Amino acid sequence: MNPTASTGAVHEPRGLDYLFLLLVLAAALFLRTHDLGARPMHADEANQAVKLGQLLEGGTYVFNPVDHHGPTLYYLALIPAWLRGENTLAALNESTVRITPALAGVVGVALLWLLLRRWGRWPALVAALFLAVSPAAVYYSRYFVQETLLVTFTLGTMAAGLQWWRRGGTAWAAVTGLCAGLMLATKETALVFALAAIVALGASRRPGSGRQIAWREAGVAGGAALFVAALFYSSFGANFAGLRDGLLAPWTMLGRAAGGSSGHEKPWWYYGSLFVWQRNGGYLWDQTLFILPALVGLGVAVRLRGLPRFLAAYTAINWLILSATPYKTPWLVISIIPALCALAALALAKLRPLAAVPLTMIVLVALAWQTREAVFQRPADPRNPFAYVHTAPDMKKVPALAAAAPAGPVNIISREYWPLPWYLRKRPETGYWTTPPADCDGALILVEAEQADAVRARLHGKYHESFLGLRPGFVLVVFMREKE
Amino acid sequence: MIRRILAFTLLLTAASALSAADLVPIPLELPKPLFVGTPVPIKVPNLEKPTNVKRPPFLAPAGTVNLARGKTVTASDTYPVIGEIPFVTDGEKDGSDGTFVEFGPELQWVQIDLGAPANLYAIVFWHFHAQARVYHDVIVQVSDDATFKTGVTTLFNNDYDNTAKMGVGKDPSYVETAEGRLVDAKGVKARYVRLYSNGNTTNELNHYVEVEVYGKQ
Repeated sequence: MNPTASTGAVHEPRGLDYLFLLLVLAAALFLRTHDLGARPMHADEANQAVKLGQLLEGGTYVFNPVDHHGPTLYYLALIPAWLRGENTLAALNESTVRITPALAGVVGVALLWLLLRRWGRWPALVAALFLAVSPAAVYYSRYFVQETLLVTFTLGTMAAGLQWWRRGGTAWAAVTGLCAGLMLATKETALVFALAAIVALGASRRPGSGRQIAWREAGVAGGAALFVAALFYSSFGANFAGLRDGLLAPWTMLGRAAGGSSGHEKPWWYYGSLFVWQRNGGYLWDQTLFILPALVGLGVAVRLRGLPRFLAAYTAINWLILSATPYKTPWLVISIIPALCALAALALAKLRPLAAVPLTMIVLVALAWQTREAVFQRPADPRNPFAYVHTAPDMKKVPALAAAAPAGPVNIISREYWPLPWYLRKRPETGYWTTPPADCDGALILVEAEQADAVRARLHGKYHESFLGLRPGFVLVVFMREKE
Repeated sequence: MIRRILAFTLLLTAASALSAADLVPIPLELPKPLFVGTPVPIKVPNLEKPTNVKRPPFLAPAGTVNLARGKTVTASDTYPVIGEIPFVTDGEKDGSDGTFVEFGPELQWVQIDLGAPANLYAIVFWHFHAQARVYHDVIVQVSDDATFKTGVTTLFNNDYDNTAKMGVGKDPSYVETAEGRLVDAKGVKARYVRLYSNGNTTNELNHYVEVEVYGKQ
């Protein structure tokens, strides 16, 4: 395993490369789609799935810059919904909404290989395999949020950009712009990645090498990016106010990220802690065996030029920005995982095969073990570092509870209630209050424990009481009207 | 006269049919869910107490002791996810990491063999009290039969919908606290104590920090 990246020689993929790539993609597909509906819906997933349902039913989408990210997720998720004949919110299910990021995750694996394929057969395949089994990448590929789409579009921009850089031509410029436009239309943090990529590009250029910038091609790329972003933010021409809101969204994000009062503030070392040994409530989480070669690869890549140094600089800049920002959520870490996979593969490729092969296998086993724990064994457990403020499995009981309730309104009285609107999507006669209304009676009433006494005092008739978990530490009291 | 009554009845029926036809569902306007951002982690170190009143002392005959301490424990899940089965009766009940045993999802039980039949007065148990949570389908039974097929007395059951298929329970669900749950055993004589649970409001797993069985042999 000797990466041609360091020698200057170029590996051209052949039949065997494609065969191995297919196997890697099959593994990525299985890990991202197996039992996709099993994990309860996170509040953010439910929130976005309900918006998808509104788009499905009403055909309209209006970009909201305050609490939502870009529109691509909703529009792309329409495709599997249509293909499966699920044309209403009530008809949608968890697998249908999650398949879009899951498939995007598989495409991301292919794009990473495409980006690195000239490094040699094994470095490119090993990097793709690391990404295919990476716990965080797999976990958030199965999540109906924008993160995986953004990572995939970023990889697409890089892969197309590299082709454009090497070959030139308006076609590659347009593809690069298209991918960049999709990035912008996915999430505001795309601007951070774009900034990191531009700085990294400057740091990795060989002096006097490469082509001069063709301004016409650059114009095509910029135009394509703006056109695609404008298309999505304007809801394909139906809401031009979305263009203005799209421009304002990064400022909203900036205010929230730097504000320090969102409740998601964490110390600077938080993202690093996701990779190193931690014991949480009896569970062991550790990706040291992956992060060590990745950091060694970063050190190696800095001394090289071209793509390796670009990836090293891109990773370092992104990590610095993410760590310096007080607002932190674990899904943001996946933005640096593909590059870390590439750098780990680069480091391992520097070793003799006798050491590289067993070490690669050990890293793979370590990653696969963590993926098994995080994704399949304890996907909603609060001790899982990726299950951030996750919905309790109890929420999956809500549809059966609603079906067992007598006819009549369902009242939700709680300061926090997501993902209940998703689980009660087949009960349109459901109302949501943050404090008890004057008339609390209903067929089924779900109340946050702290407000249960106030609600109980306002109820008439006979109700059966039980408990249901919304999130760790957040318990709901269930009042079910007894049938007469 | 009969004709008059008939006419009146017909009139009344028609009137009520008319008024029934006038009835329509009220246009009940319910508030829609608001789209909000990612929920914030709840930082509650220890539990919500449903009452702020300390549990009154439980009275039992003199000489009553915890018979469960160090006794043999068996479980439906023989390979706990975390911890070891003997943790159930090891006397450690502060609830921190390393003091609880975690069993797999769905209905699970632990069983304590007291060694010999004894008069039992109270069973106190702590599932997990580092966080406000409620365990589902909590059932406490005693018997002289280790297989719990005969001579079973149910002391506590809050399985209100009979998920466990052991009968509908009328006892209330409760939020876990550091006080644990005390069940009055009313002096029943038995050798084995079995406790069931079926996941909780935070995850689908089952936990025990400690079980104490107070009685006299």
